Parts: sequence; structure tokens; C-alpha cells
Amino acid sequence: MADYTSNLASSRPRPDGMGKVTGALNYFTDLQFPNMLYGKVLRSEHPHAKIQQLNIEKAEQLPGVLAVITSKDVPGLNGFGLITQDQPVFCDQVVRYVGDAVAAVAAITPEIAERAIKRIEVTYEPLPIMDDPESAMNPDSTPLHSGGNILHEASYENGDVDEGFPLCDVIIEETYLLPRQMHAYMETEGGVFVPERDGRLSVYAGTQHGYKDRLQLARILNLSEERIRVISSPMGGSFGGKDELNIQPYGAILALKTGRPVKIHQSRRESMISGIKKHPMKITMKTGAKKTGEIVAHEVRIIADTGAYATLGPAVLDFAVEHAIGPYVIPNVKTKGYAVFTNNGVAGEFRGFGGNQITFALEGQIDRLADDLHMSPLKLRKKNLRQGTDPGPVGQMIAPTNGDSLVLDEITQSPLLALDKRDSDNPWKKTGVGVALTMHGGGLGFGRMDPSGGKISLNHEGKIEIAFGFEEVGQGLLAVIENITTEAIGCSSEDLHIVIGDTDKVPHSGSSTASRGTSMIWHSLQRLKGPFKEKLLDTAAKRSGYQKEQLCVGEKGIWLNGQRILTFEQLFLENEPISIDTKFDFPTTPNSIPGGHFLYSFAAVAVKVEVDLITGAIKVTDIDQAVSAGPVVNPNGYIGQIEGGTIMALGYTLLEEAAMQQSRYTTENFDTYILPTIQDIPPKMNVRAIEDLWEGDMYGPRGVGEIGTVALAPAIVRAIYDATGHWVTKLPVSREEILHAREMVF
Amino acid sequence: MIEKVKVNSQRINISFTVNGEQQQLQVEATKRLVDILREDLSLTGAKISCEIGRCGACSVEVDGELVNSCLMRAYQLNGKSVYTVESLSENGLHDIQKAFLEEGGFQCGYCTPGMIMAVKTLLEKNKKPTDEEILDALSGNICRCTGYAGIIRSVKKVIQAI
Ligand code: FES
Ligand code: FES
Repeated sequence: MADYTSNLASSRPRPDGMGKVTGALNYFTDLQFPNMLYGKVLRSEHPHAKIQQLNIEKAEQLPGVLAVITSKDVPGLNGFGLITQDQPVFCDQVVRYVGDAVAAVAAITPEIAERAIKRIEVTYEPLPIMDDPESAMNPDSTPLHSGGNILHEASYENGDVDEGFPLCDVIIEETYLLPRQMHAYMETEGGVFVPERDGRLSVYAGTQHGYKDRLQLARILNLSEERIRVISSPMGGSFGGKDELNIQPYGAILALKTGRPVKIHQSRRESMISGIKKHPMKITMKTGAKKTGEIVAHEVRIIADTGAYATLGPAVLDFAVEHAIGPYVIPNVKTKGYAVFTNNGVAGEFRGFGGNQITFALEGQIDRLADDLHMSPLKLRKKNLRQGTDPGPVGQMIAPTNGDSLVLDEITQSPLLALDKRDSDNPWKKTGVGVALTMHGGGLGFGRMDPSGGKISLNHEGKIEIAFGFEEVGQGLLAVIENITTEAIGCSSEDLHIVIGDTDKVPHSGSSTASRGTSMIWHSLQRLKGPFKEKLLDTAAKRSGYQKEQLCVGEKGIWLNGQRILTFEQLFLENEPISIDTKFDFPTTPNSIPGGHFLYSFAAVAVKVEVDLITGAIKVTDIDQAVSAGPVVNPNGYIGQIEGGTIMALGYTLLEEAAMQQSRYTTENFDTYILPTIQDIPPKMNVRAIEDLWEGDMYGPRGVGEIGTVALAPAIVRAIYDATGHWVTKLPVSREEILHAREMVF
Repeated sequence: MIEKVKVNSQRINISFTVNGEQQQLQVEATKRLVDILREDLSLTGAKISCEIGRCGACSVEVDGELVNSCLMRAYQLNGKSVYTVESLSENGLHDIQKAFLEEGGFQCGYCTPGMIMAVKTLLEKNKKPTDEEILDALSGNICRCTGYAGIIRSVKKVIQAI
């Protein structure tokens, strides 16, 4: 019997639910405009080549084609990138990966656009392909960019590992290989670009940060930001993948050039080839402990394959380096990481942000140590766990928290761990259990501009208008805004008008990323609620003649002794607007450690797996999970994020790999890129939310968008070991490897 | 690079019903049902995601069976009866839609129209499906957001109410 439970009550339906369950909601890729053209982008034929000739004449001559554009048509900067604009909008000299754009067309039908693309003639001179980050790092390798192939180095050192290792009784050294995962948002990149009569450009395309898209587009189009309006929510999923620009530059230039609306909607294959992915990493760890279980030394080397362009590669690496010791106290640590350019697919932001990879390796080390020490994995973790007021993993000051020990205590109660390991009667089926723990930073971290804010006002319809520059990517942001605002103000959800996803209407809140949305909305309302209610009551007192102190804000208006005396509509006056805004920064650690975090959330996961020794298949049958991320804002949203993140992690562990050979994707659609289906999920999943925070913690709810994705992989691998005696070091777990291991074991 | 099979296709006349309404259209013989729905009939509930029959985002009901509308073409449509997600809420929300709302059966919502149609065709044939039958019926519909648990809770809620 499928059983998906949690300790949370279910919540009221999401504000965006109606449109979604009825199919009435128009996504940007559903939009049609009069006179609309269809755009298509020509991507490179080679992972690395010189462009010798580019001839667009034959494409231009095709009837129905209205524009063919190349680098010559970029009005401003021919480059984009969230931090460094090193990715050309159109390549004109060299292509560095198969997703590089060379030209684009707009035509009256998608079919004609496709035919026109095929008529563009490009002559390439193939260059040597750099598909392996370690050889790309070699100083003799051809540099893909002027600064060489090492995009970013990051390190952390504490104590002295050379002094630490000799003190250890057990040392584990292992290399872990993590795959390139695709976000696989169900709605591929797309939208419509509309030149307006007043000369402005409207961009209808999903992103995680409308203002950032506006800034990037302004540079490319050589327009002032005010002349661009980015309408950016909702969308059919993102998971980090749509934070960076994708089709926007092409649609925008084509629309401006033709003076007509242009729609681009990438096919799954185009999305796969051009879209960013999760960083493949090779992580080597050497970890030593004394007989007592005390971990003494930990040495880490991370090689991250960042692909052809920077995007958020440096920040992802910093995050991995920061989380290399997780929630443990280790006196001697040496971590060194490299993000390396290759001709492979571009890697960038992905839910988990480097935490998944590093935690897989770290928890793998802890489990192997436990095994060698003949100690229970839970006990070893407990023994080395940080205390509530200890510094963060890179020695930085953080908000005191014992979330790690709370989730560990909770998971200790999981009946899975008490399982009597009696294998089924079938000698070819082995079961095993595993547990893992993680600590995950929220926000962008020290040294990265991380401003946020919001605005609340009473509008002419008598609605309380609450506006944020955050985006609804599917995570349930609107429900979070609704719940936090109604609770802070005391009004009902019908009184609210929520405004997001439109740069003409919203304040700057920063990106909907890094599990920061929920947290920042809560912080905004803490600042907005006092002054806003004050203003409402001042006006109400003036209008009604009652003392302000007698009045309160409630459902549909202002109340006195249990009676509503004024509606919000009656409070609105054109010449006395009631409006408050707030601006502040995401709390960071005061210590100057690039990307160092201040707020963390925690999760512990217990799993049970069944290994089929005949097919090598792994079936996860149970997942128990404890999460500590502060108060729950929206129960359905919270469980949904954890369950959804968990199954995305299950795909990462057992199924998914955007494999490349010679820097070309060998999987291009869902027939070979295998996503978890409903058949792959465990029959039982439990989520326990631990809402307690450290006494005096003033930082409220933390986001839960990422925390559910991190600890599952190491727990599954530990369970496979428990079942078979074989340690897996490479994801996704291959059936062949399991079968091979069977030969070794028997 | 060919995403859509593009043969030099003739326009043909087709006659079929969509959500109970008779439709006479002249379209290319190889035009996909999903494009006919979205472009010719402005019914954008059925979504496009993989275009090779692997994700179910485009699922609709044709003559009582769940069909990937990205795989069905105009020349196969004559005399058929097609139902899309838009038909469900013609007289207020359908029980399946209510359950999805209450149990968190969706997040981004992009898979939801297809998923709901898959549940609908299942329950029309089998009012009390077993767990295994539920999983079987929904296994062609991919959801990247929910991890399916909320979807299963939704389906169970509908079944319990029957
Ligand atoms: S779009 Fe039809 S099955 Fe995926
Ligand atoms: S709700 Fe987003 S894919 Fe299912």
C-alpha cells in the first residue's frame, strides 16, 4: 500500500491551483500574438571548431523567412553570463560546445524556420576537443578562454592534515564520480518577444530573476533597462536551470529586427544540447579517524567540469568547498577545488548547488570509516557532530543551530533502521538500509550582492497588494506569499492581490534561487507589517473618529470590538496612498569567506533498498526523512519540495546521466535520458518537519527547495553496501556494476 | 535536426469531435493532434515536452483511451471523439481536479493536464484500481516536480470518495 505521510497538516489550495488543474493557465509557450513569427536557433555542429565561413543567403531567400541573424546583428554586447559575460550570443570565430549559437531565424511558420536553419551554410575547421577536465587543466592544453582553462580555484585549510593523518588508526581514501544531471523541467525554454508600439520590448519568458534578465538583455540589445519589460512567471519548472539566459537574446533581437512578435520554444533536443546542467565532479577524499571514532584529518580534491562557459561555475565550486566537512568537526582539513573549462555541455546552477556532489563523497567517507571502525554509522556521525554554537564548516560565524543533531535524533527513530535484516526467501534479492545527513547553506553567501525586498500597498480596488521580484517556478512561491502576508497583516487571502513576475510592477527582491525566496518573503513581511498596519489604522482612525488603539486590521477591513467598521476599499484614497516598501540584504556571515553562508538547513535520510542480483536493479522501497528548516509556511508546499527533491535525487542516484562522448551528448531526449516515473518511487515515504529553531533565532523559516535533494544518494549507496557488501563510487549506480560485484561477492 | 516529421503533406478534411463538439477542419494530413488542439482550436491544456511519446504532457482521451497527442496525426482522427482537460471543468471542478488541489498533486502544473487525463481515463474504466493498477496507468506521465507522492495521495482521495 503506497503510503506518503508527514507530520504536517495539509494546507489550503495554492492561489495558482485553479488555472493549473483546469489547464486554463497560459504558460508563455502557450501564448499566441497576432502576426507572430517563429524563431529558431542554429547551434554548432562541433564541440570545438573555428568558423571559417558563414553564409546565410540561401536561408534569407526562402519565402516566409523574415530575418536571419548572426553576430553582426547583435546591437550591443555579444555576450551573456550571470557573473561573467563570456558566452557569446552568437559565435563568429570559434565554437566551444555543441550548444553554441551561430545564427537564428524568424519565419512565418515553425516549419519554414526549420527549413531556413538547414539552409544556413557554416564551414568549420574542427579543433582538438577537450572533454576531460583533468587534461584541460594541464598547462600545455589549448586554452578555451584567454585566462586559461581553470575557471576558478577555491580552497580551505584548517589545522595541518600532514600532522593529522599519522595520528589516525583508520584512513579511507576514495574517489567519487558524479554525473551530469539535467534539470528536465517539463516546459523547455521558450516564450514570446513583443515589440511594443511605444518602442519598448516585452519579453514573456520564464526565468528565476526577471530583473537580471532585463539587465543582461539591455547590455545585449544596447537599450536602457527601462525600455525592456520582462514578464517572467509562471513557468513549467526550472530547478536552477532557467536562472541563466537561454533563448531570450535570440527572440529579442529577432523581434526588434522584424518589428513583429517572435515565439521561440525549444524542442527537448535543443534544450538538452544548449541548456545548462549540474556539474559533473570528480572528488577525491582522504579521511582519517582514531579508534575511538574521532575524525582527525580530511583532505579533499574537487575537479568540477564546468563546460565551455562560466555562468555560476565559480559559485558552485565555492559551495562544494564550503560543504566539504558538512556538519562535522574535523581539526585538520585541506580542501582544494578547481572548476575547469572543457568543450562539454555548460554546467551551472542546479538545485543543490554543488552540495549534492560533495555530500555524496563526504557521507561515503563517513560510512566507510564507520565500517572499518566497526561502529554504527549513526554513532560515528553523532560523535563528530558540531555543537549548536560551533562555527560553520569553513570556520565562519553562523546563526547558532542544532538542526543537525535534531534531524539525526529524529532519524534514529526510523523503524527502517531497526529492521531485522532477514533477507526474503528469494536468495537473489538482498535488502539493505542506509542513512545519511546533510547541512545546506541558504542565500548566496558572503561577498555576493544579495539584496532583497518587497512592497505592500492598498490599491484602488481595496486590495492589499503585495509585490515581490521573485518568480513562481512551480515551487509554490505564491502560496508562501499568501500565507506569510495574511498571517502578518491579519487579513484574509481574498483581500490580497499578489504581484510577481513583471519588471514593470515589482520591486527588486533578488533571484528566486539558493532557497532564499521563502526566507526573504518572511523577512520582508517582518519589516513591512508594522508600518503598514500603522498607516492603515491611522487612516481608519481619521476616517472613523475612533481611537487608533481601539482598532485592528482584520478580514476585509478594519475592526472594532468584533465588528467591521470600514472596508479596505473605503480606506483607499487616491491622494493619500498607503504604501510601504523595504530593502535589506540576506543575512551573511561577517567573516570574509567568499560564498560563506550564515543560515543552514539540515536533513537526515534513512532508506531501504532491494537489490535484484539477477538484473542488477535497485529498488528503493522506503524513505524516511527528517528536515530542519525552521517553521513550516505552507505544509503542502513543504512536503512537495521535499518529496519532489527526493525523487529528483533518486533519479540522480539510479537513473539520470546526460552522457557525452567526445563532447557530444549521447542522450537527447527522454527515450535515453531516463527520468524517474511513478513506478520508480518507493511505496513508502515519510517526511518529518522539525520546526524548532535555536533559542533566540530571529531568522524565521528557511527555504526547503534544495535540502530534500542532498542526502538521499549517499544513503542509497550505503544501503546497497549493506545489501551486497559492495561500495559504489560512481553515480548513477550501474546495473552492470552490481552484477559484476555479485560475481565478486559469491 | 528534424523534430517534427515533415513529409510533403497534403491538406485533408477531417471531421471529429473535441470535448463533445463537432469539428470540421482542413489541415495537413500529418499535422499532430497536439498542434491541432493548440493551434487550430486554441486548447492549450495539452502541453508539449518531449514530442516522442515519452512524457505524457500532451495526454488526451481519444475514444476512451489515453493517447499521447504528439504521436497522433490528422489522418487518424476522422470520426474520433477527443476529450481534453478543458472538458473536465465545464460544470465546475471535477473531483479529480479538486483532489489535486487539496493534496498537492501538482507544482509547476505543466504535467498536470496530462496527468489528470490519465487519472480520468483510468477511473472511467476502473473505479477501484489497486495500487499496481494506479502505477501502471500513470507510468507514461512524467512529473519532474512532485515526486509523484502528492499525485498518488490525490488519486487515492478520489477513489475513497467514489
Ligand atoms: S510531448 Fe507527447 S509524450 Fe511527451
Ligand atoms: S508539476 Fe511540474 S512537472 Fe508535474
